[in-house]
Formats: sequence, C-alpha cells, structure tokens
Amino acid sequence: MRGWLNLLGAAIAGAVVTTPALLVFVLGGGSVDDALFVALGTLMLVSALLVVTMRDIIRCGLAMIVAFLALAGIYVVVGAPLVAAAQVIVYIGAISVLILFAIMLTQSKAGPARLVFHAQAAPAAVAAVILAVLITLGVSATDWAAVAERTRLATAELARILFQDYVLPFEVVGVLLLAAVIGGVFIAKREEDPG
Amino acid sequence: MGLANSLDAYLILAGVLFAIGTFGFLARRNAISMLMSIELMLNAVNLAIVAFGSFIPGLKADGSIIALMVIAVAAAEATVGLAIIIAIYRNRKTPLVDEYDAMRR
Repeated sequence: MRGWLNLLGAAIAGAVVTTPALLVFVLGGGSVDDALFVALGTLMLVSALLVVTMRDIIRCGLAMIVAFLALAGIYVVVGAPLVAAAQVIVYIGAISVLILFAIMLTQSKAGPARLVFHAQAAPAAVAAVILAVLITLGVSATDWAAVAERTRLATAELARILFQDYVLPFEVVGVLLLAAVIGGVFIAKREEDPG
Repeated sequence: MGLANSLDAYLILAGVLFAIGTFGFLARRNAISMLMSIELMLNAVNLAIVAFGSFIPGLKADGSIIALMVIAVAAAEATVGLAIIIAIYRNRKTPLVDEYDAMRR
C-alpha cells in the first residue's frame, strides 16, 4: 500500500515537472531548449521549495541535491558546461555529503524539532514574495544590452583565460580553501580537556 | 517564445530561487536548514552570473570564471559554517538557533 502511494506521489511529481515543459514545447514551436529550460527550472524551484518547507531535515538535504542537479542542467542549457561539471562535483559531490553528515551528527534522538518554523515565518514568507516580485519587476524594466542568442563557451578558451588572466585569483582561492579546511578541522575538533 | 534565449528568463528564475532561499533563512529554526538556504541563495547568484556571462558579449569567459570562484568560496563557507554548527551543538546539545541564547541572558 505504501509502495503504491510512493509510486503515485512520484507520478504526480513527474507530471508537475513535465507539464509546463510540454506546454511550452507545443505552444512555443517545438524548441527543445525552451522545454528543457522550463522543465529544469520547474524542477529546481519545486525542490527548492521542498528544501525550505519540509519537516524532515534529511529529506530537505536530499531535495537540495535534486535542486543542485537541476541547476547543473540549467548551466548546460545556458552554455557553460564546465560550470555545470563543477556544480555536480563540488555541490553534489562535496557540499551535499558534508551537509548530510552534519545533519546526522546533530539530530538528537530526544527531540526532532516539533516546530520547524519560527514565529516569524509568515512575515518572512511575505518578505520573500515581495523580494521575488521586486526582482522580477527590476529585471523586466531594465535593458541589459544583451545579445539575442546565448554564446556557448568553449572549455579550452575558458582554461586559457583562467590560467593566464586569472591565475592570481585562482591561487588565492586555493590558499583560501586550505585555510578553510584547516580552520574547519580546528573548530570541529573535540577538545580533550576543557578549560 | 524563446525562453532559453532570453536573459530575463534566467534572471527571474535566479531571483525566485534567491527569494526562496531568503524565506528559508528567515523562517527555519534548524541551523543546518539555514545553511542549506544560504547555499540556495549562493546558487541563485551564481546562476545570474553565468547567465550574464553567456548573454553579454563583453564578458565572455569572465562570467564562468567568477562562477567557479564563487563555487570554491561557497565550499569554504560550508566547511567553516558546518564546523561552527557542530562545535555549538557539542556545547548546547541542540541544533535549533532560537535556543542559542547565551548572549541574551
């Protein structure tokens, strides 16, 4: 019975994600890129909403992985495949695992929180909606001087620019990561004798 | 329609994702949930940067490179943030931020 319910839920979720994409595909003249963009965008927004609203925090972490994966797909659609690869490796491979382990370390058996939200959740929701509307209006009202066709970036060219013009920031980021790892280990290390 | 070829569509998507992250950061009680919301907001900003880099001819590879830098810095932020949360959890035995009131009493 429970298996069938899960299957039904999966079917409904799949329908929610694919219906707008199919509509765009049919109405918009059969552009595969548009359909992919709408499908991945819907998947990303729905799973992001699940991340901030679901009760069970480990499911929030898993929904976050889905959101990251959909965003990697959007990076491919927009024409930055190397960023998509980095997204998959760093976010899904490293940060998600880190967060899932932190969840497992901090969930006490005594009390999984009964209240998921603060008392300020309703004003926060209003503020978030206002923020989204403001960003949408601002984006629509601005002329970005953008070209009508997205440019697909070759990885070889990106590598050349990264290791010629941006080599100093690249090295600085390496040092920053090393410092962050050492600092993280130092902070999280169990202290043997307090005081 | 050309949704995949319009900069506005990507920017609006990024804005909505950022707003969702804002809501999560303001409304959740669990510290790790707040950290996940911050990750969502960072990803939204990254999407906007990559979209700009792909649509504005003047900054061809710069957008992708800045996005890669942001991903690296986000990894550093997640490391230190989770270490701090685990250190606080070891002292207070709770991941809920509204019970961290040592500086208020």
